[in-house]
Amino acid sequence: MFRIKHLMKAALISSLALVPLGVFAQDTVSLTVVGVTVPPEEIGTPLDLAYQALVSSFQEANPNVSINVVEQPPEFETQIMVDLAAGTAPDVWRAGQALLPELIEGDYILDVRQCLDITPDLTMDRFIPSILAIHQPEGPDGPVYGVPNGFTPMVIYYNPEVFASAGVEVPTSDWTVEDFLNTAQLLTLDSQGRNATDPDFDPNSIEQYGVRVRKFFVLENLPWVWTFGGNVISEDGSTVDGYLNSPETIEAITFLRDLVLEYHVAPPPNALDQMIQERAFTSVFLDGQVAMFPRGQWELVGLQNQDNYDPGRVAVVGYPVGANDATIAFEDGWVINSAVASDPAKLAAACSFIDFATSPVFQDSKAVTGLEISANQAVADQASEVSQWPEIQAVFVEEANDALPDPNTRFTFFAIIEPRLDLMMENILAGADVTEEVNLAVEEIERELSRQ
Amino acid sequence: MSYTGKIAATTAYLPKQKNLWQRFWSRSNEKVGYLFILPAFLHLLLFLLIPLVFSLYLSFTNWRGPNPQSALFIGLENYEFLFGDRRFWEAMRNTAYYTLLYVPGSMIVSLLIALVMNQKLKGVYLFRTLFFMPVISSWVAVSIIWITLLDPQVGILNYVLRQIGIAPVNWLGDPSTAMIAIVIIAIWKSVGFQMVIWLAGLQAIPEELHEAAAIDGANRTQTFFRITLPLLAPTTFFLAITGVIGSFQVFSPIYVITGGGPRGSTDVVVYHIYTRAFEAYDMGYAASQAWILFAVIFAATLIQVWYRRRQGESGLF
Repeated sequence: MFRIKHLMKAALISSLALVPLGVFAQDTVSLTVVGVTVPPEEIGTPLDLAYQALVSSFQEANPNVSINVVEQPPEFETQIMVDLAAGTAPDVWRAGQALLPELIEGDYILDVRQCLDITPDLTMDRFIPSILAIHQPEGPDGPVYGVPNGFTPMVIYYNPEVFASAGVEVPTSDWTVEDFLNTAQLLTLDSQGRNATDPDFDPNSIEQYGVRVRKFFVLENLPWVWTFGGNVISEDGSTVDGYLNSPETIEAITFLRDLVLEYHVAPPPNALDQMIQERAFTSVFLDGQVAMFPRGQWELVGLQNQDNYDPGRVAVVGYPVGANDATIAFEDGWVINSAVASDPAKLAAACSFIDFATSPVFQDSKAVTGLEISANQAVADQASEVSQWPEIQAVFVEEANDALPDPNTRFTFFAIIEPRLDLMMENILAGADVTEEVNLAVEEIERELSRQ
Repeated sequence: MSYTGKIAATTAYLPKQKNLWQRFWSRSNEKVGYLFILPAFLHLLLFLLIPLVFSLYLSFTNWRGPNPQSALFIGLENYEFLFGDRRFWEAMRNTAYYTLLYVPGSMIVSLLIALVMNQKLKGVYLFRTLFFMPVISSWVAVSIIWITLLDPQVGILNYVLRQIGIAPVNWLGDPSTAMIAIVIIAIWKSVGFQMVIWLAGLQAIPEELHEAAAIDGANRTQTFFRITLPLLAPTTFFLAITGVIGSFQVFSPIYVITGGGPRGSTDVVVYHIYTRAFEAYDMGYAASQAWILFAVIFAATLIQVWYRRRQGESGLF
């Protein structure tokens, strides 16, 4: 009996002793974050170190917030949709732009204007306006669904060594479509060293191509459509008729087709496949077998990882100027789960986190990793001072001013349309009639749009 | 006691009438049996029947995105749209092409291997194991190996072609050969399983029949076509049915190797449904496509059953 009494006393004292810990536990807010990890093969890279620094410095500055870092699965977009349906989505995550319309339409992400009172430092003027606009589908005065993290406009990469050996001037930001074609022709060489402007040029023995053209319509070819003054879909997303099959768009598509089949300055799909069977395309480019190709900033890292990388072999320039001077931008941003709004402490923690993640503390690392440009205007402006590719970085930042958003960021149904556009382009580059293919695509896409 | 009084007294002592459930539950043997199948039944209910019914319901909705509560009931609209969906029927055509190549191809190759493996040869068990190994290998691993084997520059298949004076083929990059390449891979992967089924069928044929045929002067070809093949009819039927069903559901090699390309030439129905559901999040429409696929497979199976019965009546089977 005596022992039992003592045991009960001990239990009571222990439980009283735990009370302060319980109070402490209530004050600590746990925030689940996805998007601050790298795949296993990238552990130790500058990006990995930047993420680690972000989490640890945030923890240091916010000791009452416990960041629960969740690994990002390979097919994260599918995973997040499943998690949202199951109610197990993280509190904050880094979302690719293509999923934004789905998240906004489903009311899954928070309007971050709710953060402005909690974290007054998080003002929207820190972001590059054209990139912030991706998160403001209703215009500058409407809701802000998440905040931009980083982005890249698409540009044309070129190999200056190839230009020098062909005696061709390197392109400038004001080059035209005619300049582009002439440059590509001068850089395309057959086995006898004759370029594509030579009457004796042999298209069956090409050893060096001027440019790479692929089927990816939105990723690589949409800026060409804009350059020619065309477009792909109406402003309200209700039709492609009169846009995709407009004379300007058809002219742009025909131009791209002709680069492959008429001028022979770009490898046909089969030849391109064969070029990259044994090694990456970046390696082929660095060796000068293809002198130019369109791509985003992330390719810099791919190029740098090749054995034949030499900084003198890589430079970038904007798409040629035509009826429009535009390119496409791809962006990722930080979004807050709308479920967080019901917990004021968690909401405050989430707002602080996105404030921290979009401030120079983390954004400065983008110039070092070289994967994308910071969406923070001040950081982006100073990026070329710290970047290992200062001239290249400057071009990317300059091109950001001309960047238009990917249609995927505006219309939920564009995910259905985009593969159809890629198929259309693939058929055209393989020799199909441009007008016929475009009209077929228009007919099928219009049918799809009628369901929306 | 009156007559009616006697009846009333008798019925009062009769055991109380049990309802259906009580009668069912009182049979102790059945009770145990049902308890044994309960886990399997719950599994079927949770992971097969409920999802099946739910997907059928979805096919009548316009569900897009993660939240099924936002889906509106739209009746047969998805099905109406589907019948005019050129891309879907193109995928169905590609699937039918795959089936036409794969089912007879795999059955013939596996039968030939089974005939050899049915002989009393030295090391036959080792070879049977080797032939079966691809069956238990991961589709993803196998696909990656085959991408290398089919490489136009460094692939062993093109090396062999070059040695015999044939120009290398861009197996996976050419729309006219990509599906053939997928079929070759699928045959290689499944031939071991089919070989085992054929072997079971071959070993069930009484040896006396072959001996009698030999005594009657039949040569090996005649014995094969007149004795062996007809007696393998149930096996043939089983492999044809499962082959057709499986080939209409082909997905993994397409997902890993070609992604439906080049130029949509390997865009098969299940891959088409997958992209619609999990890349475009058009769940309602994808569900209707899945049910049409079910209907097509069901119809193909019925035709095979009908054909077999007809052949049976004519004495061939």
